[in-house]
Amino acid sequence: MTLPLRLLYIAVFQVILTSVITYYLVSNEYRELSVKTVKALESFLIKQKEQELKNYTSIALTSVEHMYPSDKSNDNKVKGVVADIVENMLYNGDDGYFFIYDVHGNNVVHPKQPNRVGKSWWDLRDSNGEMIIQVLIKNAQKGGDFYRYNWSKPSEGQQSEKMGYSTMIERWDWMIGTGVYLDDVYKQLNETQNEINRHINRTKKIILVVALSSIFFIFIFGFAVNLSHKRKAEEKINELSQRVIDVQEEENRHISRELHDGIIQILVSIKYSLEATRLSLLKNKQEKPEPLTHAEKNLTFAIQEVRRISHHMHPQVLDELGLSVAIESIAQDFSKRTGVEIQVFKPSLRKLLPDFINTTLFRVVQETLTNIQKHAEAKSVIISLSIQDDWLTLTIKDDGKGFDIQNNNTSYEGIGLRNLAERVQYHKGEFNIKSSKKGTLITVKIPTASFVNHFNEATIRTKNDDR
Amino acid sequence: MIDNNNSKISVMLVDDHPMVQGGLTACLAFYDDIEIVGATDDGAEALSKAKELKPDVIIMDVSMPKMNGIDATEIISEQLPDTRVLIFSMHDRPEFVRSAIDAGASGYVLKDTSSEEVYFAIKAVAKGNTHFSSSISKMLIENPMKADNEKLTTREQVILSHVASGLSSKEVARKLDISFRTVDAHRRNIKTKLKIETLAELVRYAVNHGLIEKNK
Repeated sequence: MTLPLRLLYIAVFQVILTSVITYYLVSNEYRELSVKTVKALESFLIKQKEQELKNYTSIALTSVEHMYPSDKSNDNKVKGVVADIVENMLYNGDDGYFFIYDVHGNNVVHPKQPNRVGKSWWDLRDSNGEMIIQVLIKNAQKGGDFYRYNWSKPSEGQQSEKMGYSTMIERWDWMIGTGVYLDDVYKQLNETQNEINRHINRTKKIILVVALSSIFFIFIFGFAVNLSHKRKAEEKINELSQRVIDVQEEENRHISRELHDGIIQILVSIKYSLEATRLSLLKNKQEKPEPLTHAEKNLTFAIQEVRRISHHMHPQVLDELGLSVAIESIAQDFSKRTGVEIQVFKPSLRKLLPDFINTTLFRVVQETLTNIQKHAEAKSVIISLSIQDDWLTLTIKDDGKGFDIQNNNTSYEGIGLRNLAERVQYHKGEFNIKSSKKGTLITVKIPTASFVNHFNEATIRTKNDDR
Repeated sequence: MIDNNNSKISVMLVDDHPMVQGGLTACLAFYDDIEIVGATDDGAEALSKAKELKPDVIIMDVSMPKMNGIDATEIISEQLPDTRVLIFSMHDRPEFVRSAIDAGASGYVLKDTSSEEVYFAIKAVAKGNTHFSSSISKMLIENPMKADNEKLTTREQVILSHVASGLSSKEVARKLDISFRTVDAHRRNIKTKLKIETLAELVRYAVNHGLIEKNK
């Protein structure tokens, strides 16, 4: 795994981790906050309702207190009037009303359920089984308190939780009470809760989107960086491998030269020493010893071998006489070896090219001829080297059976040709293959600018320096 | 040509390898009608030494560090028409032989032939004949040389480069230390080989082929 890719994974991991933590913290925080908020809101609303109930009750009481007669015997008459007034004191539409029971649970006033009036409800229980009337009376006797129970809501005709407040009308031992239905409060609380939940969800979504888009961008960025890195690395590898080939060629050239101009020359000098020995023996009229003949024969063989190796490593023709002569030389060898007719066209000038271009083009010809010999079944080959319009052009054309360039990438000649193509491109040239069933044409072009003035620098300057 | 003194053939060796020089000298020392008058180890130096010694025959190696034997042969035969050059080389490719002949060499002997053959070759070229090693002759018969009438020699190319760079024949002659007439002869040859008539065309040709730079 390359470094940028590893960094990429670290970054993505970081984003995911951050998102998860943020998500967890935010949703937790929100939940806590919502619980607190809803609770606070609930207690606030309840308090408000309680205050309301107390206020209504105190208004109700105030409105009837002044009617108490001074003479107790008139009480019964006044009771009826008070009951009437209380019965008509309504608020909040259908759901706000007052009710009155005496301390024994007998109903005195109930505007919404008139059938209860006059009857005892001491043992009345709500749907939870609570003794409602008894509790209301007890609260009233304690001086007034709140009590939650289930009661039928007039506007809806259904059981609903009601918060009741009851207190005493001391004079007549009546318990007066009123209440609010809490479903409104709960509805409001629910709405608040929902609102908060919506917020939480939205925040979660935002976190998710941010995280995903971050990951996406990291990947895009990472891949872009990776791609350019890869391209750069490939370029570097290519350049490096070309340089390795340069070094190899140079090394080959060097060793070949060493063999040819060093070792062989030494062998030749030994040969002449042996010959001088022979001539000297002859002069003294002595018999020529057998081992000397052997030595001379073996030495000749050694010289031939070293020469063969040297030529194989790097043809000296290329260095001494230039590219077109070297091409002619291998062309002639090829023709002799394979019987394929071969023609070479070349420019009138010589030694125009620096060594590396010489060697590259020579290798192209060499490799192509090898391919032709192995696969093409060609009858004739035309090699042409020409210089025109700022380009040196080498073409090798055969009339063989051709090959599929695309499908041949993995085969031997594919690799060989691709290497040569890379090599040519490395030297700022162009490489082109066309192949059909009628034959193959390989074209290599090198810009004249790559070798302009090379001849003068190599030939004339050397000579001038020498004078 | 055969020397006046004792009718000995004067021979100069040009070979960058002292051991080969020594070996060959030792062998040739057994032949009374040959005298080694000098030796040098490079083509570039060979010219001045040959001008000074005026040998009958120069035995010339091909691969040498500064100037190869073929280019040196061309200059020597241009300037010392009486001196014969016998190429003495390890190279056995026909292209070398052809280039050597184009450059004006009278013979070509391989280094791995016997000293007797070198001796015979020296005698032959000194008489004005040609001589090739038997293996070279065989090779020449097997690979008949097509006349290479269109290819410029190195010397011609040097002169073309100078002329195309704007030097007059006189200036070229001075620069290369040769006669005005020689330069002119070269120019004629160049024009014939390239099938070119005018100086302007010569310049364009040299530029197009990357021989000289455009703005020169």
